[in-house]
Amino acid sequence: MSENKHRVSRRQFLNYTLTGVGGFMAAGILMPMVRFALDPILKEEAGTEMVPVAQVKDLTTEPQRFDFKVKVKDAWYESEEPKSAWVYKDEKGEVIALSPICTHLGCTVNWNGDKAHPNQFFCPCHFGRYTKDGTNIPGTPPPAPLHRYEYKVKDGKLYLGKAKPRGEV
Amino acid sequence: MKWTVYDVEMYEKEKQYIDTVVIPLMPLTLSSGAKAAVSGGEFVQLLTNEIERQLKGRLFLLPPFTYFVTEPISECTKRLNDWTNELKESGMDHVFYVTSDRQWKEIEQQLSGTLFSFPAVPFEHMDEAYKRQIVQEQTTKLLNAFISQWT
Ligand code: FES
Repeated sequence: MSENKHRVSRRQFLNYTLTGVGGFMAAGILMPMVRFALDPILKEEAGTEMVPVAQVKDLTTEPQRFDFKVKVKDAWYESEEPKSAWVYKDEKGEVIALSPICTHLGCTVNWNGDKAHPNQFFCPCHFGRYTKDGTNIPGTPPPAPLHRYEYKVKDGKLYLGKAKPRGEV
Repeated sequence: MKWTVYDVEMYEKEKQYIDTVVIPLMPLTLSSGAKAAVSGGEFVQLLTNEIERQLKGRLFLLPPFTYFVTEPISECTKRLNDWTNELKESGMDHVFYVTSDRQWKEIEQQLSGTLFSFPAVPFEHMDEAYKRQIVQEQTTKLLNAFISQWT
């Protein structure tokens, strides 16, 4: 009787410990999986943060280049990525903030970079060109317009968010 | 483009557009003069990274060509020219070297690629803002030099 009791309690003991350990193991395996699943979502949020870039009163009808930094997290560490934007006000007073990244292979475009084609954005890599509003000029390599930054104006300051393909902003 | 899987995939797809290789030339030593060598190398790395960012669609930034300062310059030259010929054979039209090691300037004519050399800047005594300004200035200079080679 006493032996029997002893045996049961040992079984119970094993039961408890094994479920306990198993639970820990399962958690150990599952936690990173959950993290993996959620991580892209978390990252997305970090990327949409808006950063102050310029004073609205400094903007002109001529595109000007503004440099700024955004925090990025890649697989290994967090760092600051330098970014730039070409910003101007159109005839309606609307702010246009263009990404300088050429939609062809990613070089940095310049306003008025090519003397032969004034008032255009010019990409020095394969001579891609865009009109002032960022539309790619047919016959040059870029396949799409320059991306536009999401923006907001608060307290006289211009904040930029993510650059998105035209039509999505 | 950088020496990464992602960029190499792009290179393989868009080969016809990528005709330029940039190689930082970087002296190594751990004896006296190490600090100067490192600070020159660091500067070159800052410069070439920034250039890569701005012109990534046309150029490939390779890992640095490294050599011990005790390696005779004739040996280095031979090795570097071998790299260069290899690259030209795989379809690169321009091979640009960027360095702050003065030695190369003296044997420039013997090189198969184009040399861009910069005086080493004593970064250790500079504050961040000034440092950034210098890198910016030199980058613009180098950028224009590259672009004028292309046209
Ligand atoms: S990267 Fe701009 S035209 Fe090719």
